[in-house]
Amino acid sequence: MSELVLKNVTKRFGGLRAVGDVSFTVPEQSIFGLIGPNGAGKTTVFNLITGVYKPDAGSAIRFGETDLLPLKPPMIARLGIARTFQNIRLFGQLSVIENVLVASEKNRKAHLGAALLRLPIFYRDESETYDKALELLRIFDLHKMADETSTSLSYGNQRRLEIARAMMLKPKMLLLDEPAAGMNYGEAEGLKKQIHWLRDEFKLTVVLVEHNMQVVMGVCEELHVLDHGETIAHGTPEHVKKDPKVLAAYLGEEASESTTEAAP
Amino acid sequence: MKILNAIIAGVAQGSMIALVSLGYTMVYGILKLINFAHSEVFMMGAFFGLFLTVGFGLDTSPMFAGVAGTLAAMVLAGLLGALVEKVAYAPLRARSGGRSNTNTRITPLVTALGMSVLLQNLAQLLFTARYRSYPQLLPIENARTIVFVVAVVVMIALQFLVYGTWFGKAMRAVSVNVEAARLMGIRTGRVISMTFVTGSMLAALGGILYCLSQSQVYPTMGVVIGTRSFVAAVIGGIGSIPGAVLGGVLIGVIGELTKLTPYSGLQDVIIFTVLIVVLLVRPSGLLGKAGIEKV
Amino acid sequence: MPRIVRGVLITALVVVVLIWLESGFGASPGFQTVLPDAAWRQLVLFAMVNVVIALSLNVINGMAGQFSIGHAGFVGIGAYTGALVAGHLHVRLGSGDPQFANSFIVMPLVLLASGTIAALFGLLVGLPSLRLRGDYLAIVTLGFAEIFRLVIATAQTGGTAEGSVAKFLASLGGQNGYAGPEGNGVPQYAGPFWIFGSVIVATLIAWRIKFSGWGRALRALREDEIAASAVGVDPTRYKVVSFVIAAAGAGVAGGLFASMHDGSPTVQPDSFTFVQSFDAITMVILGGSGSVSGAIVGGVFVTVTVKLIEQLQGLESIQAFRADHPSIDLNALRMVVYAAVLIGLMILRPEGLFGEREIFRRKRPKKGGGDPDNNAAQKSQSTQESTQDSENSTPADKESTESASSKQATSETLTTAEGTAS
Repeated sequence: MSELVLKNVTKRFGGLRAVGDVSFTVPEQSIFGLIGPNGAGKTTVFNLITGVYKPDAGSAIRFGETDLLPLKPPMIARLGIARTFQNIRLFGQLSVIENVLVASEKNRKAHLGAALLRLPIFYRDESETYDKALELLRIFDLHKMADETSTSLSYGNQRRLEIARAMMLKPKMLLLDEPAAGMNYGEAEGLKKQIHWLRDEFKLTVVLVEHNMQVVMGVCEELHVLDHGETIAHGTPEHVKKDPKVLAAYLGEEASESTTEAAP
Repeated sequence: MKILNAIIAGVAQGSMIALVSLGYTMVYGILKLINFAHSEVFMMGAFFGLFLTVGFGLDTSPMFAGVAGTLAAMVLAGLLGALVEKVAYAPLRARSGGRSNTNTRITPLVTALGMSVLLQNLAQLLFTARYRSYPQLLPIENARTIVFVVAVVVMIALQFLVYGTWFGKAMRAVSVNVEAARLMGIRTGRVISMTFVTGSMLAALGGILYCLSQSQVYPTMGVVIGTRSFVAAVIGGIGSIPGAVLGGVLIGVIGELTKLTPYSGLQDVIIFTVLIVVLLVRPSGLLGKAGIEKV
Repeated sequence: MPRIVRGVLITALVVVVLIWLESGFGASPGFQTVLPDAAWRQLVLFAMVNVVIALSLNVINGMAGQFSIGHAGFVGIGAYTGALVAGHLHVRLGSGDPQFANSFIVMPLVLLASGTIAALFGLLVGLPSLRLRGDYLAIVTLGFAEIFRLVIATAQTGGTAEGSVAKFLASLGGQNGYAGPEGNGVPQYAGPFWIFGSVIVATLIAWRIKFSGWGRALRALREDEIAASAVGVDPTRYKVVSFVIAAAGAGVAGGLFASMHDGSPTVQPDSFTFVQSFDAITMVILGGSGSVSGAIVGGVFVTVTVKLIEQLQGLESIQAFRADHPSIDLNALRMVVYAAVLIGLMILRPEGLFGEREIFRRKRPKKGGGDPDNNAAQKSQSTQESTQDSENSTPADKESTESASSKQATSETLTTAEGTAS
């Protein structure tokens, strides 16, 4: 089993408690939503899971049997936890396909020595990863711009390129940080389908930080709601939607309307 | 006794280094840039000091000439620092403002290094490479005390400037987030210029004090002292003003103590060993805060 | 023609040409036939050594984006190591004039020793400073190079030195330079064969690093370290290994420099000052950081201008002028001009002459291994399919058809991949 377990996770920045005593379990192959108003600590939780920040004493984060706390970000990525970033972080001067190819370092069979000697395994490796990367680009409809620099892409395409890059890691778990930011209704609908499809096709667990309720309610099977770094609700979307604490602290009039609209 | 004397001399020497370190640490704090040209501003400041002191009439009233020359040299060095920023660094900031272009990290470093080489060789062309003797303004037995007192007074004044004035607040705001500071109505360009001016003035003062105790001035003097000062800033915790002072004093004392041993030539080896140990044990420096990088 | 056969043929041809340059097969050496003027030959060899320096610095500065400003220190370590090894081997081989045949014993060991020792120092310097994000490498490399030079230059020469370390340092000759174990000059074994050969090997290595997964990961690190570590690229490992490779390259260049034909018979600490480090940076940046061909062009260009100034200073008119204006130091003037050009370049065109591009470069890496033709055909076919799909569909249901067709495509390639694998 490779479920993700957070237990009593706390993180302080100076005097500010960004995340306070948060515990939840993400079941394998589920689509799990982490929601909450701005500044609730959702991205910090992602950074704690991926090892960018280390939580305070007393916290525990496990992925399957592995304790993530002593691991650095590259090791956590190599375990199969891939992520995207809230403010897109692509490799600007690299081409679109190169961005994806970088994520193949983990699965590479030909190492530096083989590359320097240009052994047959190097060519085989390059050709295989190249095909795989092109395949992923095709899934996200980016294959026609494979040789363009990634900065020249539109905002939505950059977001999708980030997901493609994360998928190149062959992850067991995909952490998506506001993938629908800046997308219109149609694009968000497409994203919903894509998330479902990715999960089914690659047997992934997906954790989603998202503000777009159309996406959250449409795709998540389980929700965890944070406010000011603390847990205020947990459960199925139907359950959370009706939770008075959530409505009061987070959703508000407008948002709850859009929720009912988007509910299937 | 020998050791105590060496420590006293080291503190005096170190307070002079600290004056130069402050310029590095302030600029690094605000722009995250190693201002390699700072060591050359230090050297230029010493030359300005020499020429101006002589120009103000060294023979008629040495006291007046020394003080006025020093102050005028500080002003000139401040202008030079601001000029360096305007010519070499500001255009880079203006361009990289929109998108993150290639080599955003290396580009300003190359420019800074280029500026340093430019100023140093310009000094060689203008002043020739020879060593010039610096007028002996201070009685030799009191030189250390005066250097130390001046340095301490200036550091207290700087502490007040940074934590007690509106300009200091603006400076700290810019160092946290340039964009946010701009949106809050702070004229960031002016704040950055003023930071360079302040740092350069301190460097010139440090340069003049250095020359008063070493009694010579030459175009490559910035290299050794500049490097030591930057190392002092890193050891103390780059971006931290008390850190720069602590690092400077530490390096001064280490330097003087090694002079007691047969390995006096290896002073810089020891200093760099200390630097590497600090980087390994406490990467953010002795008094530095571990920065939180926003992801 | 299979790749291996082609590779062997090209290598053989290159070796023959290099041997001809060096020995001329009984006739006068080819290098002398091509360039009868000794000064020109020295310039060319010197330029080639600088090209190796630029190529190695380019790996860490250009590709990995880590600012190392003490490259001359590693060159110096390599030079002293090489001079020591060459000098002692030469004595073992019975002294006399360096023979080309003997260079096949001496040079491999010289280059191996120079590269290894420089690499060890690279590890020592790189490990503490590259663990951290930020610009610590710059200051540590600067200090390291300066310390190396000072330790050698200020070593107590004469009989007073005590202790094995001090004795060893004293044997290196201090400020006057090292002139071999017998004091009659470092034997000059590195002729065109070894120097051109090293340039070719260095170019190949730099090229292959750049166009491999490793190089991609380095460039990704340069762009965004956090994103790179989020996809499993360990920043410390990639940066430190690249830095060690760069140091080893510099060491090899130093080994060549120490025993270069027509070069200086002594190795002097003043050949490895900050000015040389700065020249190396200029070579990389001018050509375009990250570009292998840029480093070569930059290396040649900078060497030529340096030598040009040396030549100019020999001219009578210049010497007369200098007598009238003693303050005009042509080298200082050159540095001012270089620095100004560098600053201007950073402001106007920070990517350098070539940017990251190469002069000879196919648009996309040709795919080898397996069955390339078949791969390409399949690829273009499926690309066409999806193009048609997206053209005929409305934006709303575009996503669904897209994912459906891509699902199909995925399963197709998965099966074919399995087919070829088994």
